[in-house]
Amino acid sequence: MARVEIQRLSKIFPPPQKGGDPVTAIGDVTLEVEGNVFVSIVGPSGCGKSTLLNILSGVETPTSGTVSVTEGDRPAHLGYVFQDARLLPWRTVMDNMLYVRDDDGAEKATRYLEMVGLSHTHDMFPGQLSGGMQQRVGIARAFSVEPDLLLMDEPFSHLDAITARSLRDHLQELWTVTRKTVLFVTHDVVEAVQLSDRIIVLAPGGRIFDDIAIDLPHPRRAADPKVATQQAEILGRFEEM
Amino acid sequence: MSAAGVALPEAPAPPGWVRQRLISPVGAQVTAVVVFVGLWQLLTLIAPRVPSPVEVSQFLYVEVTGGSHGGIITGEFFEHFAITLRRFSLGLLIGFTAGLLIGIVIGLSGLARALLNDTVLVLLTMPAFVWAFLTTMWFGITWQAPVLTVAFTAFPFVAINVAQGARAITPELKNMSSAFEVGRWKQFRHLIVPAVVGYIFAGLRFAIIVGWNGILLSEWFSGQAGVGFRTRYWFDANRYRGFVGWVIVFIVFIVVVDRVVLNRLQARAFRWRDPIEVEIDLSRQEQVGV
Repeated sequence: MARVEIQRLSKIFPPPQKGGDPVTAIGDVTLEVEGNVFVSIVGPSGCGKSTLLNILSGVETPTSGTVSVTEGDRPAHLGYVFQDARLLPWRTVMDNMLYVRDDDGAEKATRYLEMVGLSHTHDMFPGQLSGGMQQRVGIARAFSVEPDLLLMDEPFSHLDAITARSLRDHLQELWTVTRKTVLFVTHDVVEAVQLSDRIIVLAPGGRIFDDIAIDLPHPRRAADPKVATQQAEILGRFEEM
Repeated sequence: MSAAGVALPEAPAPPGWVRQRLISPVGAQVTAVVVFVGLWQLLTLIAPRVPSPVEVSQFLYVEVTGGSHGGIITGEFFEHFAITLRRFSLGLLIGFTAGLLIGIVIGLSGLARALLNDTVLVLLTMPAFVWAFLTTMWFGITWQAPVLTVAFTAFPFVAINVAQGARAITPELKNMSSAFEVGRWKQFRHLIVPAVVGYIFAGLRFAIIVGWNGILLSEWFSGQAGVGFRTRYWFDANRYRGFVGWVIVFIVFIVVVDRVVLNRLQARAFRWRDPIEVEIDLSRQEQVGV
């Protein structure tokens, strides 16, 4: 149960061309996330969603402001799911699971692979799996390190609609069991409503446009009318942006 | 064509028996050997100083079985071969390990590339005989001279290839590894080495060829034993069948190492690239074709 605290965070990139203007990816964002919640960060391309995750994971440094990701009084342990699965093609599924762990961890790896329905793939190489299955391994891998905070960067954006839909179901099952703190970046409002307890909407220029609570029980079906109603309402708010 | 009244087959005819045998890998190799021996035999007709395949075979038989070449000179094969093989393996191990480590450092670090890349390139252009002479000057007629000749000639080929491979590792996998805080040794074993393994084999192939070249030269000039020494012995004795016989041994040795040892290791290292499904699909297609 991690706590994410973002204080007056800005990230300004140098101009892409000589003589151009600097690019503001994140402009003065203050934000707190705490507890066993699934939080989505939604917004159009180029509004600093991925930059925010990169700053939280320490890949990039802020221009100004502070971020802290803590678990109790120690730094939180992070897990990642990327846009593509990022598996080692020359290692088996099981060895890929064990690659990110300090201890041997075979028992946990087995358990999480089972939870995404891939028990039979232990000894297969990633090249023998479909894109959706590879991404499921990626998700199982992130959960298996049992992170305090899980960062997911548009994990379903490279998949076809049907595969993405089934992966969302897998993700919800996993989340309902583990209740990790999740920060989930997506440009898909419909997906965000189905998955999240809270949606933070970023606008171009990297400022917070809206902060919406979704109060529906988990797991949610995409076809559930209550989910669909919420989706329509929030899509409506987007039109005002 | 059809004017001759022959019905044309609907599908293209399968290649004839001879052609089929020729294009199979084993058939092609056997053919290459037969053609080589045939040309050699022809050459002896034009140039009588060249020993014929039969003469050389007879020599090799006596040399390998330890029989008499005439008088008190007896065949010596395995002791020389074992000595050379020992020196060669040790030298290759040193050169390969150094090449692997330095290649990875050059590939991953810009600073190391700036410092070392040109040096390795200079070493690459150094002919093997320079190392054979230099190491003999340093160590005299000792076992270190041939071992280090192999190490020095093999090293830059491994280093240059591995450096290229290490530079080609995808940044996504590197980012993933650092995001999950995977330790350096684990990254080395599971990310870097497998990513450069194709380049390692390319480097190793060259390293074996130039290293073997180097050890022959070194033993020729400064050996008291070994295959290079033995080859020179027959050269000095003006016995061309002995000289050519040993040259044939070298060719066979290199071919066997490349085809049998390296190819098997390579197939093992690239298991992940040959999914079973592909094979099944191919066999199915063939069945459909028939």
